Amino acid sequence: MGRKFYASISVVVLLFLVVPLVVHDTFYLRVITEAIMWIGLAVTWDVLAGYTGYLNFGHGAFFGIGAYTTAILMVHKGWPFFAASIAGGTMAGLGALIAGIPTLRLRGAYFAIATWALARAIQQLALILDITGGPDGMRLPPFLQPRFFFYVMGGTVLIIFIVFWYLFEVHPFGLKVKAIRENEDGAMAMGLNPARIKIKVFIISAVPTGIIGGIYAYWITYIDPSSTLGDLVTDQAVVMAVFGGLGTLIGPAIGALIISTFKTYFWAYLSDYQVLYLIILGGLIALSVVFMPDGLWGTVYGKIQNARLAGSKEKR
Amino acid sequence: MLQLLPQAIVDGILIGGIYITVAIGFSLAYGVMHVIDFAVGEWIMLGAFMGFYLNRWLGLEPILLFPVIFLSFFVVGLWIQPLIHRVLSGRRGNPVLMGLVFTFGLALMIRGIALTVFGFYSHSIPSSLAQGSLFFQVGPIFVTIPLIRLTGLGYAVLVTMGLYYILHRTDFGLAVRALAQHKEAAGLMGVNARRTGGHVYGLYTGISATTGALIGCIFSISAQMGPDYTIFAFFVVVLAGMGYLPGVPWAAFLLGFVQSFFLIYLSPSYTMLAVFAALYLILLISPKGIFGKGV
Amino acid sequence: MKRVFTVGLCIFGMLLGPLFGLAYGDEGRNYFKVGVITSLSGDLATGGNVTKRGYDLWAQEVNRLGGIEIDGKKYPVKLVYADAQSEPSAGASAAERLATQEKVDFILGPYSSGVTLACAPVLEKYKIPMITGSAESPIIWKQKFRYTFGTIPPVNYTGSTPMKTLASLTPPPKTAIILGSNDAFSKATAEAFKASAEALGIKILKYDIVPQGQDLTPYMAVAKATRPDIIAFGGHDEELINLVKALRQINYTPKALLMHYGVTEPAFVEALGKDAEGVFGATVWTSTIPTHGEVLWPDAKSYAEAALKAFNVPADYTQAGSSAAGIAFQVALAQIKATPPLSPEEREALVEALEKINIRTFYGTVNFATEGQYYHANVGLTPLTVQIQNGHTAIVGPPEYAESPAIYPMKPWNQR
Repeated sequence: MGRKFYASISVVVLLFLVVPLVVHDTFYLRVITEAIMWIGLAVTWDVLAGYTGYLNFGHGAFFGIGAYTTAILMVHKGWPFFAASIAGGTMAGLGALIAGIPTLRLRGAYFAIATWALARAIQQLALILDITGGPDGMRLPPFLQPRFFFYVMGGTVLIIFIVFWYLFEVHPFGLKVKAIRENEDGAMAMGLNPARIKIKVFIISAVPTGIIGGIYAYWITYIDPSSTLGDLVTDQAVVMAVFGGLGTLIGPAIGALIISTFKTYFWAYLSDYQVLYLIILGGLIALSVVFMPDGLWGTVYGKIQNARLAGSKEKR
Repeated sequence: MLQLLPQAIVDGILIGGIYITVAIGFSLAYGVMHVIDFAVGEWIMLGAFMGFYLNRWLGLEPILLFPVIFLSFFVVGLWIQPLIHRVLSGRRGNPVLMGLVFTFGLALMIRGIALTVFGFYSHSIPSSLAQGSLFFQVGPIFVTIPLIRLTGLGYAVLVTMGLYYILHRTDFGLAVRALAQHKEAAGLMGVNARRTGGHVYGLYTGISATTGALIGCIFSISAQMGPDYTIFAFFVVVLAGMGYLPGVPWAAFLLGFVQSFFLIYLSPSYTMLAVFAALYLILLISPKGIFGKGV
Repeated sequence: MKRVFTVGLCIFGMLLGPLFGLAYGDEGRNYFKVGVITSLSGDLATGGNVTKRGYDLWAQEVNRLGGIEIDGKKYPVKLVYADAQSEPSAGASAAERLATQEKVDFILGPYSSGVTLACAPVLEKYKIPMITGSAESPIIWKQKFRYTFGTIPPVNYTGSTPMKTLASLTPPPKTAIILGSNDAFSKATAEAFKASAEALGIKILKYDIVPQGQDLTPYMAVAKATRPDIIAFGGHDEELINLVKALRQINYTPKALLMHYGVTEPAFVEALGKDAEGVFGATVWTSTIPTHGEVLWPDAKSYAEAALKAFNVPADYTQAGSSAAGIAFQVALAQIKATPPLSPEEREALVEALEKINIRTFYGTVNFATEGQYYHANVGLTPLTVQIQNGHTAIVGPPEYAESPAIYPMKPWNQR
């Protein structure tokens, strides 16, 4: 963790703090906040998918559990927001622990579909129970302060990013995790305990997602099962992470940024051609998988690395 | 209401029949090419619309149009397959995920184009078979079997048996099974992976599209109907054991029974919760599908 | 770690870039800027497009006549669209954008209740009035948003009429099976049907809320076994079509089949053909009701003709309600003599004017309630029961409005 890292992070943090002072347009602030939210969702998905090799197609359920926990605590129990969103993250983590132990025994596509089925079951539960409001959804007390949400969402995602960076890129934990992705049985032979590590990553990917869900609920003031527990959150996070580049933290962040920005500007200024958006996005995704299987960042970084190696070879 | 028990069983089988048609081509494609095609629902949707428009223009009974739809989409599948093959033979990354995301992008494109061309409205394909049913009554017990759904079951049986015949009694089928088992070894034995894979994919798209036309007769169709069927194809195939074709009918009937029993005897509100929970729990107990024979 | 730095820089560049491009406001404008939030894409696109047609038709007609007349001078209207994508969060963003960037004068609202619930708080904050031509769920009005109005009454206001009509037929139905899809609107519809059936002494054999899009054939087997007089279903277009097809396939007809919402949509009859005959539905407007409009269209018939001419698709009550929303704004603005761009004081006055208006339009009377469970919903309309007869919708109840007698009991399938 050299000085360079701290310097870069400080600059990012500074820029981040400055944004709302420069951006007065509340709509743009909203757009940026949403982009940051997607960065968080894509990155948290990637730590399980790209780093550990387990595709969680029920990732949106963590988001929804966080959102609903926060809503229920604030509306029915009068909890304040910060406590409620932390509780949201905790519930999501708890869910990850309980569901993770049996589910992480599955591999590959089976794990993916099992998590998807579980997420759908949770959505059905939210549709049926009274405490969640069923299909009517839940309204949270309105607190429409765009700057507040920018700071909270941005701060949360920033912290997540830094913590993940430490855990997965600096600490040996990251190496253990990647070992599981490359060869789970081999890793076991080397003395690692894959089951324990997988559960940890599962929970690590769930808690921040739950907190983000809680922030979302308070921010939008209205949640319902189809918007918060549907497939949309998972689908977009997956696409953003793959487009940006799996197995890194910056990849999904870039992917989320580009796709979220593209989507929002297209929607805002070209809404007459909204159907075109589906076609363009679909084409973009398909082409990027064919021509850039390592994702945008992965390919770019790979080229930089190659250039560096080639350069260093010549020097000798 | 024990008198409805036979009806509940029949309904479960009939719903299962529809699921078989949705899932069996998909299971074949996965088993051989290891591609989880996210666009399966879109193939179904396209086939449904082709059936709708052909029926409108020609006035023919939709069932008669099935061969035409099958052949058209067989060709389309053949044509698309090389692209998928290239994606899946990537050296890095997670090929399963890559294939999935690629086909997800494909599905979005197809859906967007369909929305532009076909619009948002729902349609229905009129079929004379959708107007009748077989009716059996013994005392207070009666069973109604809608003809169109019986046709669906028949189609499912036909396709399943047809695939069985192709896979186990023809040279082509031998090549396919070899390819599914071990791509490189099959290649060494003279199996052209690309061509055989292409034919398999074509079979899959052809079957799925024809299923779409069938669904248009039983239910309604719209440009956005794809994702609902994609999810069921995935679920049935995984429950059956991926790539294990004989498991598909059992998984399909199981999900059909869960639905019919919840709708008739238990609380209908919980129907889908039961379906998803059943799927999840069975996978936990038997990680490679009900029979444990998944790939 | 230089990467982190460069990436961070790119992030901010990308997000802040567009800031320096665009400027809005046009503070000296002489036209009304009207925001439209509706679902042009996503699951609810069909309904969203119906409202769009209604809003477009209103704007076209107003502009054809030169604009909204305020104190002798005419001001044209310009619609600015924002797609809610059938997602509440997009609806909230849309409201924010229209309020802060486009600085619209007032807003014509969404098709779905979920989107309405998400954008209403934003509009309360910016104090911009909105009238929606759709969104029939009672939960919206219970929230008592000061700046949100609706020209369509909620389903708990309209849902009792069809049951009353059915109860008045001979021989009177005694039993019913009622079901609803598990979404906010359909569930409320089923609840309204149930409440009114019970109040009328009809025995409810089975009442269930079923998952959306569920294949209901096994459920209908139960219906066939218990033979209720009425089957009533709350759902959306595709689900309605599927239910009729299911009944057809098992060859069963109850004496009366009542469904809502979708019977009045053209796709229903188009998809089902003869099988749609005899199905009952609910509405607050048809092209044949004897309304008199003080503004724009003199009666229902002329509106229906104009709509058909403009879009080649027959108008249903949601579309009519959307056009009426525009008319309500038009009348209120003329009353308070406000000119564009609207100041915050003028928008306040607009809200007060809307609360007081009581006008007759081609759509019926527009009169928003100012208290109670229907707060700011239009309680000036009369709910009607319709039935598909000979391929089009005919009013069969209440008696003062009936155009033809109800076909009852429903003709069995193979006798058609």
